[in-house]
Order: sequence, then structure tokens, then C-alpha cells
Amino acid sequence: MLNLLPLIQNETLKVWKKKRFYVIVLILVVLIPIFTYAQMKMAQSSEDKDWRSKLLQQITDYQNALSSDRIPEEWKTQRRVMVQQLQYYLDHDVNPNSPNAVTFTRGFLDNSITLFIPLMVLAIASDLVSGERTTGTIKMLLTRPVRRWKVLLSKAVTLTLYVSLIIVTTAVLSYLLSGIFFGYHGWNQPVFTGFQVQGSAVDSSQVHAVPQWLYILMQSGLIWFSAMTVALLALMVSVLVRSTAASIVTMMAAIIAGTILANMASSWHSAKYLFAVNLELTNYLKGTPPPIEGMTLPFSLLILAAWSAVSLIVSFVVFTKQDMMN
Amino acid sequence: MHTQDSTEAGDKQVVLSVRGIRKRIKGKWIIEDVNFEVREGEIFGFLGPNGAGKTTTIRMLVDLIKPTAGEIILCGHNVQREPEQALRYVGSIVENPEVYPYLTGWENLEHFARMMPDVGQDRIREVVAIVGMDKRIHDKVKTYSLGMRQRLGIAQALLGRPRLLILDEPTNGLDPKGIKELREFVRMLADQGMSLFISSHLLSEIQLMCDRVAILSHGKVLAVGDVDELVGGAEPYVVWQLDDPEKGKGCLAGVPGLQFAEAGIRLPDESQLAALPGAIVTTLPAEQVPVAVRLLVEAGIGVLAVQKMMPTLEELFLNMTEGEGIA
Amino acid sequence: MSSRKVWLAVGLVSLVSTLLLLAGFGYAVRDLLAPGASTPFRTAEPEPETSPVPAEGYRIVALGDSLTKGTGDATGEGYVKQAAALIEEASGEQVEIINNLAIGGMRADQLAERLQADKSFARALTQANLILLSIGGNDLFQFARTETGSGAAAIEPELAAKRLEEGLGRLSDVVERIREVNPDAKLVYIGLYNPFYDIPELRGGSLAVQDWNREAYRILNEQGNAILVPTSDLFEETIAFHLSSDHFHPNHAGYGKIAERLVQSLVP
Repeated sequence: MLNLLPLIQNETLKVWKKKRFYVIVLILVVLIPIFTYAQMKMAQSSEDKDWRSKLLQQITDYQNALSSDRIPEEWKTQRRVMVQQLQYYLDHDVNPNSPNAVTFTRGFLDNSITLFIPLMVLAIASDLVSGERTTGTIKMLLTRPVRRWKVLLSKAVTLTLYVSLIIVTTAVLSYLLSGIFFGYHGWNQPVFTGFQVQGSAVDSSQVHAVPQWLYILMQSGLIWFSAMTVALLALMVSVLVRSTAASIVTMMAAIIAGTILANMASSWHSAKYLFAVNLELTNYLKGTPPPIEGMTLPFSLLILAAWSAVSLIVSFVVFTKQDMMN
Repeated sequence: MHTQDSTEAGDKQVVLSVRGIRKRIKGKWIIEDVNFEVREGEIFGFLGPNGAGKTTTIRMLVDLIKPTAGEIILCGHNVQREPEQALRYVGSIVENPEVYPYLTGWENLEHFARMMPDVGQDRIREVVAIVGMDKRIHDKVKTYSLGMRQRLGIAQALLGRPRLLILDEPTNGLDPKGIKELREFVRMLADQGMSLFISSHLLSEIQLMCDRVAILSHGKVLAVGDVDELVGGAEPYVVWQLDDPEKGKGCLAGVPGLQFAEAGIRLPDESQLAALPGAIVTTLPAEQVPVAVRLLVEAGIGVLAVQKMMPTLEELFLNMTEGEGIA
Repeated sequence: MSSRKVWLAVGLVSLVSTLLLLAGFGYAVRDLLAPGASTPFRTAEPEPETSPVPAEGYRIVALGDSLTKGTGDATGEGYVKQAAALIEEASGEQVEIINNLAIGGMRADQLAERLQADKSFARALTQANLILLSIGGNDLFQFARTETGSGAAAIEPELAAKRLEEGLGRLSDVVERIREVNPDAKLVYIGLYNPFYDIPELRGGSLAVQDWNREAYRILNEQGNAILVPTSDLFEETIAFHLSSDHFHPNHAGYGKIAERLVQSLVP
């Protein structure tokens, strides 16, 4: 009986030597400074103003938008919730956007959960099985005295490791790179969480402050969960589809369709069972209203877990039974 | 029609036993009833034209494809039910030796070594030495020539000290020198007690390399037996190139035992013949060739070339199935 | 072997990352599902009031209703921004609009309430040395916006008087509250006008407007350091040129006129 560890070592080394991870790091190193620069420009444009005045103005602007009859109700709900949250920050004299590397990292992670992180996960996941089939090395892999489920399991474990590595790298790089401009402080700045959205109102009875580092840890944990769902789905597609390109395109289409739906399908209630609509788990932490009414954290976790479980089952059943014709 | 296994080899241990395997893909029987056995220390040829099902059969031997029916026993273990035990005894190259181009040769070998029990750095060094790749082994595979990749493929197949080595069309893409080296290499391995299973669509290759052979056509094994018995019986052609073919033909007609091969009925490999315009194809016992040459010379006809040519596989099948009405 | 080192490094780092993220995930789920269970985190001490108010220049905080917000002005400037530009031009001093806190549809009672409850509102006011205010229009004309043309309620004199009295009480509260928060800043109140002057049945509303403005002047006068900018005459003969298409709010030119008046009364 062969231990699983050498197999994981193989898979880890292959992904590494294929330079997939370098590409991801390269993309981050290019993109983060761009966002940092944009953020800095934005901060500079109203630098002389006190953040409290800015925040107050923002709240007033949202309130004015609320009084307009021409704005759709979902938008109003979202705005109303934001007004209440911003007001909460203002009342507690906490700047929600104070410019520092930690705040930037929090914002960057928040915005990357729906598309950016999944895209980077796909760069690795979509290639895991179909890549070996395209090059024919799958023959070499499967003619060893190792059961197929072990081969696939080692790939799944490796994928998990890389998903974690991607998220941590994203966080670390965005902290290090943005810190050059914003400074490396802000770890202990308070962030409020626990806003409960009920219909169009926010219940702030459960709101409590957490230090920003803890918030980022929680955020990253939630991102990890949704990224793992994407990864396992991509693994399944990679098992089912022979070409890596087709595999990436399939997954990208699913994810993009999901984000579009999340923005427009608030009245189509059964859309909430789609995985891509549930990816934005950090919304529950932030307290923004979910895209479709009735979605809650346990609901989203359950949906994502169900999709993951089904993908795993399909992957293993197909992979162990499949005839490798070429 | 099955030729019975020759008795003198019967006492040797059976390494691979294929019993009644069949495979249906999309409602079509690709493999129908394939049976054969490979014994210890022998070089077993697997002969068949392209599309006969050679590669499909090989894929079943190494558990890449599951047979619809029948069983494959490798050193006493059923490949489908106990792949972990059975595949330990096999090294294989299925079609081309596909290795990871972004790893070095050494990293590739390490990769495969980790998937096998009891294969360490020492064994890797051994196989590298066996295939003579010491110099380039730490280079990235994408910089290798085809020949070097093939060597690396053989190296990885040898890693687990296999009792059976499966090579699928191993001479594809090799130059004549490479083919000769391969032949010697295969013989050396067999002498050390390893069994080899070699597929090919070229009769001459099997004849030169193998001890026993199974002949496959349309997913069926037509015959299994000693190469000399099955293939050696086929009479080679003698192909003449003369400066005056018309006159020469008349002259050759007088040679005892000589028969002209008629186009469309029996001819050696057409592609080879095409390179020899005006060549006269005959069958003639070897001892009669000097007689014919002397006759031609005496008649004042210049002999440009005389060569022996092997009959094609198709023709061998024709011989084999003659009178049985198999289309 | 270098690949061994790579494996050890990548393997260890990613394993630690996975454990860290799992912990973060667990903590997040617990924190969201059972918020009470998490350890409370004390917010940092509120920073001491910073931003010393500079003596030079004009620092404007505007508050009130849609008039201050600038509704009806296609350029979005309203009288606040136009006035700021004119003041800068006329005085040569620096002018900064700290906040425009006007919200469309706001009534005087809502503003008074807001000033009372919302610390941030009050805080913004303390930063100003010039406070622009427009309020009362919605108290007085709310009926008219919903029943334009019917005129029934407008003509009911008792009801109008009652509304006037109520509204002025609220205005008084607003001004008092502003003065409490910032007694030093100059307060500029934009007087009301009758947007229905050109509708004969509603022309009578102008009298109510005049009553309001007179009373408002009295309130401001009591508090001191405050002026009233009259606007009603701008929307009588020339109402067609100064009102926007909603027939309630001024247009860009109308706001411009208000801004001019404002500057005339402020800058020598």
C-alpha cells in the first residue's frame, strides 16, 4: 500500500514547476499597485477634508437618493442598509476607510471574492486532470501500481493546498505592496460586524467591533470556503472535459453568469440554489443585503457544500471508471 | 485456428495471461476474444496492422481501459481487481513515451519512482546508467530529442524492476541505428530474465526481435506461436532490377523453381516497390539465385540489383486464413 | 535536491495557510451565527476633537431641504455652490463647503430632530463659520405638492394659519438648536417664495409666505448673528424664468439669483 504523501508531493511539484503559481503571483504584483494607485488618487482628491465630513456627506447623498421615486426598491434597500452602517461608524467615531495597508487588503479581498480569486483558482484547478490528458502523461500516471482514487485524491489535496496558498498570497502581497503607499499600520483598527439585514432594515443589536486583523482572517476563511467550491467544481469539469481551455471556459462562464444573476435576479427566487450566486460569503460579514431575499449564511454554506460534495462524487466515480482512450 | 504453445517453453513461468478479453466501445466490438500467454524471459511479439486493436489491447493490459469481458492476470494478480499488486510487475510505454516536459529527466524519474514501492535514488541512478543518459538527465525534458525522450521512457518503464516490459511500436520514429540498438537492448533484457511484450505492424521487425508472436486482425488473435513457425514459413520475394527488363524476363523464365509474382494477387510492400521502377518480382528458393544470376550474365543482361523482400502482413494473413474463407 | 526543498517549503507554507484559513472560517461562522460568543473588542478611544477652526476664510455648512440641495438645477450646483464661487470672487478669501447636508423633502421638525439626535450633524456644524439654511417650504407647501391645482386646502384659511403656526414653532427649534451647537457662525436663512404665484387660485399663498418670512425674520433677529435672504420677489413677475420644469424648485438661473442676493448681503 502506497502512502498518499508522495503522491501529494508529486502533484505539488508538478503545479509548481509548471510555473502556474508564478503566473498568479505575477498577476498580483502587477494588479495590486494599479489598484493601490487608483485608491491613492481617490484619497488625494479629497485629502484636505476631514473623514467625518466626507462620511457625513456620503450618508446625506445616499439619503437623498433614497427619497427619489425613480430608484428601484432593491437599490433603496441596499442604500438604506449602507446608510445605517456608515451612520454606525460615524456614531462610534470609527473611520471605515482610513487609508492604510490593512484597510486596503480588506477592501481588495472583498472585491476579489467573486471573480478574481476564482479566476486564479481556475488557473490551477482546470489544468489538474485535463492537462495530463492533453499531454498524454495521464497514461504514465495511471499505469503505476496506485489506485486511481488515490491519484485523484492526491490531486484534490494538492488543489486545497494551492487554494489556501493563493488566498494567503493575495492577502500578503496586497498588504506588502499597498503598504509602500499607505503605510503598514491599521492592524488594530476596529471594524464593525454583525449587522443583521431583515428586509430593508438593519438590526444593529448584534453589532460588535473586531480588530481589523481578525476581520481579515474571518474574511479570508469565508473566501477560502467559496474558493474551494469553485476549485472542486473545476476539478470535476477537468475530469469530464479533455481540454484545459474548454475546462477553464466552462467554469468562467458559470461564474460570470452567477455574478450577473446575483445583480439582476432578485425576483427569480430559485436562482439562490445556484453555486455562483452564493459565492459572496463576505457579504454576510459586511452586513450587505444578500442578492436574493431569504439567503442567509447557513443557507449559502449549505448550497456551496452541496455543490462541492456532488462535484467530488462525480469526479471520483467518473475518474475511477473512465476508459483512458487517449 | 490456434497454434498450440510449443512444449519446450511450457516449463517456464507464465508472466502474463490474457483470457478471453473482449471490449465493446459505443456498441461496436473493438476486441473480440483475445487469448495469449507471455512466459518468463521471452520476447513476445504482438503483430497486427494498424487498427487491428493492438493499442486497445495494450491499454487493457495496464488498466487504462477496462475489458467488457475476460480477465488479464499479471504474475498471478488480476489487473482489474488488484491493480496495486498487478501493475507492480509491469513497466510500459503506451504509444509515445509522454513525460512531463517542464520537469528534468531526473525529476520525471523521481516522480514515477514515488508512485512505486521500494524505488529509491539508487535505482534511478541505475536505470539512467542502463539507458546511457547520465549527461543530460538534469536538463529539462523539453530540450530533449525524440530519441532521448524514448530512452527516458524506457528508463521510467524499468524503474520498478518489472518482470514484464510492454513496448508499443517501439521502433516508430527511430533511425536504422536506433532500431539496431533497441533490438540489442531488448535481447539483453530478455537474457536477464525479463519478459518483453512488443507490438508492431511490421513483420520484419517482429521476425528479427521476437521469440514468439500473436497475430491480431480485426480484434481477433489469428494465431499464437513461435515466430519461425508462423512467420519464417513465408517465402521471401526476390526482386530483380535489370538493364533490359523485357529480355531478362524471358531469360528468368527458364530458371527452375522461379515464379513471377503477379501484380494485384501477391506482391510485397507496394511502397517499397514504388521506389524501384521496372523491377521484376519473383519467388525463388535461395539456392537458385546464383543460378539465375549466372544465366542472366551469360545472356548478356546487366544485373543492377537483386534483393530479398519480405511479404506484407496482409499476405501472411492471406496465407494463414487461406481456405477458411475469412474475409 | 532542489525539488525536495521546494516541496518542503510549498507543502509547509500551504499547510499552515490552510489551517489558518480554516480557523478563520470557523471563527467567522461562529461569530456570525452566535455573535454573543465572540470576545468583545473595545473600540479605540475616540480621538480628541482635531481640526482647529481657522479664523480666515469662509467654511460653509449648508443644511435644510431640496432648495439647499439644489433640486431643479440641471447643473447640480444649486445656490450653495454658486454662492460659494461668488463669495470667493467678491471677497478674495478662501471658501470651503465642508458639507451640504440638505435632504430633499425635509421638514423643519425632521431637521430639528436630526440636529438633536445625530452627533455627526452637530459636529459638522461646529466646523463652520457660515451656515446656510433653507427649511419650512415642505412644512408649508406639502399639501400643494400632492394636490396641485385643487387649491381647496390652500384656501382654507384656518388650516393654513394652523400650519403656519406649527411650522414657525419648528423653525424656531431648528434655529435654537443650531445656535446651541455653534453660536459663533453666521447663519443665513433663505426666505420662502410662493411657487404657485402664476396660478391665480393659489396666488393667495403668497400672503402666507410673507407671514412666514416676517415671523422667520423675527426668530432670526432674536437669535442674532443671522440674516434672512428674501427670495419671494424673484418668483413673481419673472417666475417663468426662474422656476424649473417641476414648477416647484428654481432652475439654474433662479438659484443664481438667490446666490447673488446672498452674496450681496454677506460681502461688502
